[in-house]
Amino acid sequence: MIAELVLAMLFGLLLLGIHRKVIARIQRRPGPPVWQEILHAAKFSFKTTWVPATASGALFAGIVLVAVGIWTAAFFVMMTGGSLLIIFGIYMLHKIVEHAFGLSSGSPYGKFGGVRSVISAASEIPLFVSVAVIGLFTGSLELTEITAWEAVHGPLFFTAFPAVVAMYLVLLSKMPFGPFSIVESKELVSGYKTEHFGAWRAGLEVCNGLKTTVLLATFLLVFAGQLPVLWMVIGMILLTVSLSFACAVTPMLSPFDSVTIQSLVTALMLVYAGIVFTGVLP
Amino acid sequence: MTGRIKRVAGRLAACGIVACGAAAALYLYGMLPFWAYAAVTVLGFPAAVVALFLWWMADEGKEDIPFIGY
Repeated sequence: MIAELVLAMLFGLLLLGIHRKVIARIQRRPGPPVWQEILHAAKFSFKTTWVPATASGALFAGIVLVAVGIWTAAFFVMMTGGSLLIIFGIYMLHKIVEHAFGLSSGSPYGKFGGVRSVISAASEIPLFVSVAVIGLFTGSLELTEITAWEAVHGPLFFTAFPAVVAMYLVLLSKMPFGPFSIVESKELVSGYKTEHFGAWRAGLEVCNGLKTTVLLATFLLVFAGQLPVLWMVIGMILLTVSLSFACAVTPMLSPFDSVTIQSLVTALMLVYAGIVFTGVLP
Repeated sequence: MTGRIKRVAGRLAACGIVACGAAAALYLYGMLPFWAYAAVTVLGFPAAVVALFLWWMADEGKEDIPFIGY
């Protein structure tokens, strides 16, 4: 499983590289090579490293370990077909991790990024409703049981399409350069990760690689069912390219607009969940 | 970052790698339950990765004060 863990991390970084490349090509820029994010992680790992004088040392360094640790746990849960609730519980924890990243450094850029990560928690509410709808249809939140249900009844992609859209929005809110990426907006330099440089940033890149793989693979598992590995890889690449298109053609929203749109999607999803609840359950 | 911290990082990286490798081997031979293997990896992998990065960094710098506002 450790070899798979390292491969998943590298593949996630490759997907983030493809994401940057596609955005650049749409915007008529050459863009970086697709393996740029892997080089990025390697580059940061041998940069000069220290803890800033204004930082809370234990939190500043410890949060990097927590970030990698929680997505390692999420990877294990996904690979063993565990509970969707645990994976999305970890997704919620990542919000706290972003907050701690930002607040640990003592820099105002990091602090604003950390505060915005709390504001953007609105993106998690459509997630809860989507998970509830999946539970209503399949009667379980275990990935193995969801995929078994799909093997009999067909992919949830067709059965619960509004949940697909809501979950897609959740993925979009986690992609860099997206309309909801207010936590690392350029007016905040790099947002919550501004002061984490050198080995700390390399650790964060490892976390981002794992996070990307886990979220995209979970999306496919939940809505397309259990696919062969090759189809899973192709699906994840296609999903990344579609997210890149959305990111490339959409300007970054202001924090207020970002929260408003996500709240509206939540309201629509609640109506949908109500319809499913009355229609599916006796 | 001092030379002492770099030495500690090297030892931590070695411990993390050995722990993850040993847990994987023990699990493979059925001597460790899956949950224990997963727990060791979740704790050991981040420590190994970050400590490895800290250990092999090319240079060591002196801490500074970042921009803290006007």
